Amino acid sequence: MIVPFQHLLILASLLFLLGLMAVLVRRNLIMILIGVEVMLNAAGLVLVGASALWQQLDGQVIVIFLMALTSAEVSISLAMVVYLNRRKKTIDIRAFDELRG
Amino acid sequence: MASWLFYILGTVAVVATAMAVTRRNPVHAVIYLVNSFFALALIFYLLGAPLVAAWEVIIYAGAIMVLFLFIIMMLELSPGEEADRQGPGPLQWLPVLLLGGVLLVCILLLLQLDPASGQELPRWYASPRDFGYALFHKYALAVEVVSFQLLFAAVGAFYVGRAASRKEQPGGEQ
Amino acid sequence: MDSRLLFLLILLPLAGGVVNACVGCRLPRKLVAPLAIGTVLGSFILSLSCWSLAAGSGTQVTLFPWLSSAGLQADIGLLFDPLSASMCLMVTGVASLIHIYAAGYMAHDENPARFFALLNLFVFAMLCIILADNLLLLFLGWEGVGFCSYGLIGFWYEKPENALAGRKAFIVTRIGDLFFTIALLWLFSLFGTVEITAINQRVLELDPGVITPLVLLLLGGACGKSAQMPLMTWLPDAMAGPTPVSALIHAATMVTAGVYLLCRMFPLVSLSATGMAVIACVGAFTALYAASCAVAQREIKRVLAYSTMSQIGYMFLAVGVGSVTAAINHLLVHAFFKALLFMGAGALIHLAGDENDIYKMGGLRKKNPLLFGLFLVGILCLAGAPFSGGFFSKDAILLAAFSRGDGLAACLWGVGVFTAGLTSFYSFRLLYLVFFGEYRGEHAGHKLSPLLIWTLPPLALLGLFGGLLNLPHLYGGHEMLSHWLGSPSTTEPPFVTEIGLLVLMSLFFIAGWLPAHLLYRNFTGEKDAPWRRFLLQGWRFDALYEQLILRPYRFIAQFCWIAGDRGLIDGVVEGIGRTMLHWGGYIRLLATGQISFYLQGFAWGLLLMLGWLLLKAAV
Repeated sequence: MIVPFQHLLILASLLFLLGLMAVLVRRNLIMILIGVEVMLNAAGLVLVGASALWQQLDGQVIVIFLMALTSAEVSISLAMVVYLNRRKKTIDIRAFDELRG
Repeated sequence: MASWLFYILGTVAVVATAMAVTRRNPVHAVIYLVNSFFALALIFYLLGAPLVAAWEVIIYAGAIMVLFLFIIMMLELSPGEEADRQGPGPLQWLPVLLLGGVLLVCILLLLQLDPASGQELPRWYASPRDFGYALFHKYALAVEVVSFQLLFAAVGAFYVGRAASRKEQPGGEQ
Repeated sequence: MDSRLLFLLILLPLAGGVVNACVGCRLPRKLVAPLAIGTVLGSFILSLSCWSLAAGSGTQVTLFPWLSSAGLQADIGLLFDPLSASMCLMVTGVASLIHIYAAGYMAHDENPARFFALLNLFVFAMLCIILADNLLLLFLGWEGVGFCSYGLIGFWYEKPENALAGRKAFIVTRIGDLFFTIALLWLFSLFGTVEITAINQRVLELDPGVITPLVLLLLGGACGKSAQMPLMTWLPDAMAGPTPVSALIHAATMVTAGVYLLCRMFPLVSLSATGMAVIACVGAFTALYAASCAVAQREIKRVLAYSTMSQIGYMFLAVGVGSVTAAINHLLVHAFFKALLFMGAGALIHLAGDENDIYKMGGLRKKNPLLFGLFLVGILCLAGAPFSGGFFSKDAILLAAFSRGDGLAACLWGVGVFTAGLTSFYSFRLLYLVFFGEYRGEHAGHKLSPLLIWTLPPLALLGLFGGLLNLPHLYGGHEMLSHWLGSPSTTEPPFVTEIGLLVLMSLFFIAGWLPAHLLYRNFTGEKDAPWRRFLLQGWRFDALYEQLILRPYRFIAQFCWIAGDRGLIDGVVEGIGRTMLHWGGYIRLLATGQISFYLQGFAWGLLLMLGWLLLKAAV
């Protein structure tokens, strides 16, 4: 017996909310992507905890897939950051407002 | 003993993430985040997932964060021009903190209301052998699909990040 | 003759009109007029040969059921009885002559097809009125003559005043039509049928209180079509149309439709003493009004228009005092000599070089003695020269009024006698100004086509000897028309009364002729005087209607346009549009383009979902 499942969930939600705040507040594109990473991690934590709770391996398998996909996603998004920097010479997110109505 | 470890590691993870999120310098943020990932990996080991813990370090902290560092360095942001020079001030943080606080309260309430969440996590250990067996038997197709997906991502990243085409240069193509 | 042939009476002019309307402009010029003349002539010959069918209570034939639902049964059916047969014969006969005359008059016009199509359609509609066996078909013809009259008055519509005259005629008669419509619907609701013979047979079932309003409504309709007061302002302006139109529509046919309606519904009309009194008063007063206006008119056709109005007043007076025979008698004879006068006026205008003003004519007797002779016949009939057709018919009316005995009839008789004197005066004024003296105009005349002259003698003969139609016993006649129409006079008025009236009428005839002879025989010029201008403008009724009716109406229309349409409706519709645009402008502020703003949306959505889950769990 380690800890109540509740505590794990609280930890995961704390991490998730920290990542969410990073995404909402930071203006640097890199920092926003870091926030996304944090959120993905928190989700992975919940999955591992659930697999421990039910003593099944599926949760862990999903986590490995999650990591694979995350790495793919990060590579593309960082390539896009490079491209955007080339276009606007800045990575301040306030500069990319062409969708303004 | 394990529960004490869990709480200590949990605290480390949260503090490290909080520091990472609030740094002005992205490199500092990445370092703090690596710290956080280490703590998380140890928590995964405690929860009986040693393979996942290893991968957390190898892939997340080792590959992804290094990639971040590469890009940060490649962007060559001059010190004077760094985005977030001032960083977002308290005026920006306050509403988001409020929102986060409210969300946290909601989640806590939901956890309280759910009777099943009070269960204690049992001690267990998922051996790599069992894990491999599950991965390549039950989830074999998913493995193949993910490998395709990595290929797409590689191609996509290569394309998006390619060098500027000659059309964008003032000389023009002959 | 087979009774089904009766339908050709109305179908022939209809066919002619439709053919001319549809393909007339493609036909060669020489074919259009003969086609129109042929159809009306065919109807005339047919009504002559079917004459025997009309004896007694007549013949009723049905072509096909027209409307049949919810208790209403209206067929396309004809009633060919003595009254309608005599009218039909007159209408087709006079119309044939006028069609021939029009072929000559409109020989140089650019739109003969439209003219003859409208003329034929008019004859069709008029015959529908006369021959209909139910009120709905009569109403169809009623509206038809109104429309054709509008089309023909405004025939030369390129000149705005002609179009305005046509429109005025249509609108004023329409007001009368409204009253007629109400009466028609009311009769249907009372009797459950619109058949004329059925209604006439059942009038005694009616509650006395409804009869007078019904009669007054019918009178309203008749006043509109027959240009009696107060709906008479359109007739003088209607002279803007071509002369054949004036001759046909405003002398012989359409304006007599009102009299015909009252005579047709006479069993109903005669039941209401108030109604009859009103009819007689309207007739008498209109006769006096129109005669007074005719005294001061300068245009030749306007004199004749007012004279028509006056003579139809006499016919209304006859109906009002209860003598259908006298009314129809005067109607027939009047049709003959008035058509003659109008056609002659057309020829005179032509002769004087398209000049309308009689002050600018004169001495035309020497230019065309035959025309003078024919016109003189017409004038004598109009003025009531002793032993002419007009004399006998007018005398019959006044005799009927006099022998009725009550005070109102006696007053109206007095008015009628005085008006006869005025009639004589203005008729001879017209004659002297046009034919005698020296030619006062500036234009050289045009040559007259033979068609314009040789259609007049038949009408002159009919007018002159029209008295033979209903010759009273006093002169040895048999009162043929009264017997034919089924209402022979039962009592013989006293010999003294008849001779006395004869002498009185002759005196008034001379009393009218003498001043005219003295004033206008050698005419040098006329002073303008206020009373003359008052009479010239028709007692300024146009101005009165303008003030009383047209100005408030225009004010209301303006109000509805500016406040109602532009202000309210456009305001609401455009206002909604503008409000939507305005609010859209506010919503537009949500699209900031800032990515962090959009991401916050995610967070808020997450909050909503969590909140909802909480609520569900808590409840």
